[in-house]
Amino acid sequence: MVLLDIKNLTLEIELSGEWVKTLDKINLVIHEGEIHALVGESGSGKSLIVKAIVGALPNKRWRITADRMTWLGQDMLAMSALSRRKLIRNDISVIFQNPIGSLDPILPLGKQLKEVLDIGKIRKSWFWKKKQQKHKMAVDLLHRVGIKNHELCLSSFPHQISNDVLQKFMIAMALASGPKLIIADDPTRGMEVNAKTQILKLLSRVNQVRNTSILFVSHDLLAISSMAHFMTVLYCGQTVETGELKKLRKRAFHPYTQALLDSAPSFRKDLPPKSKLSSLPGTIPTLHHLPIGCRFGPRCPRARKECVTTPAVRKIHNHYYSCHFPLHWEGK
Amino acid sequence: MDLINVKDLCFQEKVKNFIKKSDTVFNLGPVNFNLKAGETLAIVGENGSGKSLLAKLLIGLEQPSSGHILLSGHDLSKSSLSQKCHDIRMIFQNSNESLNPGLTLGAILEEPLRLNTSLTSQERNLKIEETLKQVGLMNDHKFFYRHMLSDGQRQRVALARALILNPKIIVADEPFAALDPSVRSQTVNLLMRLQRELGLGFIFISHNLGIVRHISDKVIVMKQGQVVESGKTDVIFNWPNDQYTKKLVDAHQALVNSQDN
Repeated sequence: MVLLDIKNLTLEIELSGEWVKTLDKINLVIHEGEIHALVGESGSGKSLIVKAIVGALPNKRWRITADRMTWLGQDMLAMSALSRRKLIRNDISVIFQNPIGSLDPILPLGKQLKEVLDIGKIRKSWFWKKKQQKHKMAVDLLHRVGIKNHELCLSSFPHQISNDVLQKFMIAMALASGPKLIIADDPTRGMEVNAKTQILKLLSRVNQVRNTSILFVSHDLLAISSMAHFMTVLYCGQTVETGELKKLRKRAFHPYTQALLDSAPSFRKDLPPKSKLSSLPGTIPTLHHLPIGCRFGPRCPRARKECVTTPAVRKIHNHYYSCHFPLHWEGK
Repeated sequence: MDLINVKDLCFQEKVKNFIKKSDTVFNLGPVNFNLKAGETLAIVGENGSGKSLLAKLLIGLEQPSSGHILLSGHDLSKSSLSQKCHDIRMIFQNSNESLNPGLTLGAILEEPLRLNTSLTSQERNLKIEETLKQVGLMNDHKFFYRHMLSDGQRQRVALARALILNPKIIVADEPFAALDPSVRSQTVNLLMRLQRELGLGFIFISHNLGIVRHISDKVIVMKQGQVVESGKTDVIFNWPNDQYTKKLVDAHQALVNSQDN
């Protein structure tokens, strides 16, 4: 079953008098029970997609257009603000990038967690039992994400707790409403390996046990390839390639995907130590200087004259890519 | 001949107490290692294990409570400050915030030269241009401010500032953490090239075990201020002895291998 279906999402912002397309025709489909990874460098618009999905972008500054943006068949863009908020409250949760920055610094964690609990379950009990029941639910949630010392965690403030425990706490908050889709926006940034694997295991367990879909946004390819089923690669606001992770890793069609995969030394066991890593020249362009056509053009090792027009999306067996000269055309 | 030799380096962080004289809150060390020219040492460990503190001790931002740091046979604590600045340079964690936003890159790079050398302004200018070229930037970048550069370029400037006094050792605190994959491999390549050309000793802190395994010759694993294991990268990654190291390496291997099946 298709949960979220986005087609040709375009997001524009006004920069010194002209409208610049920060996202250019993004396609994203998330099925029930799958882990979908969204990969891209910083500035490629990963977090903007997340914000566009949950509706956290102010309408005045941003212009959002899409051919289709539906949640279980309901059109999200045509919805009223209130009903969209309700939908997102019940079905979608977001784990933000930086736990310490996204939690309230002056409220104890327990209070923040109890705020997001499912009210429907509490309302049935007598009023003198409500406080107890809330506490029990909060403790249950913390146990579910593997925080053992729940009393300490609930009574302390965000700055008193280490980063990886806070990240687990954020996941607990995300699970509180029993969502169908969890959007994890770079949840493992700046973590050491042990903490990272714990978070990843936790997320994939949530996916398996409760059949929750996860949209995993990150640029850490190692973390992604250990858990995701599908992968969408973004470059500079354009979807470059989408497909099953295994196939994509075995054979990438787009030169950018290949470059990304090659740049991680852990993926290549045959690589002798201290040898030169393959890398792309240059860096991601800024919004003021976006190249026309294929935005990857100026850095692409295979760029030719045709690349000044935007390539159309092509499809081979559920594997979408947009490139004029994909890698599998080598022989021709 | 060892470039740097650290013997029993210890550090105690004390909090002054009104009733008792002082309380020890953090114990670092003893740390022992040695590094030859052209070698790379990686420091890994969890957050709060004293990795950054060790880096600060090495460059002399903190005074060790006991132990010696010998730099090509000379005790570092006896050498003068300007000599220290010449020999060991540091790249800070966040290259963006460690550059002064109000100064041009030329001024940022000129400062260590003006303070530590007796070059004339013309010579300084030449040196700056030479260093910029070395890290892959252009002469015109002298007139740029920090906000006009991308992440990768900022990292290059931070590296240029470290290189400009021709140090023997560069200490870097998570130099690759904030960088994107493609820019990261650019920086790694640049560092390895400079190391080959100049014979630098390179000490760095990182969470990314893939990169640690790729570029380092020796590894120190730290936990709560103590060195739990140290040795050659190959040995540590293939035959870890300590429980904590095993856990780290296994976690990394699990991530790497899980995509194969």
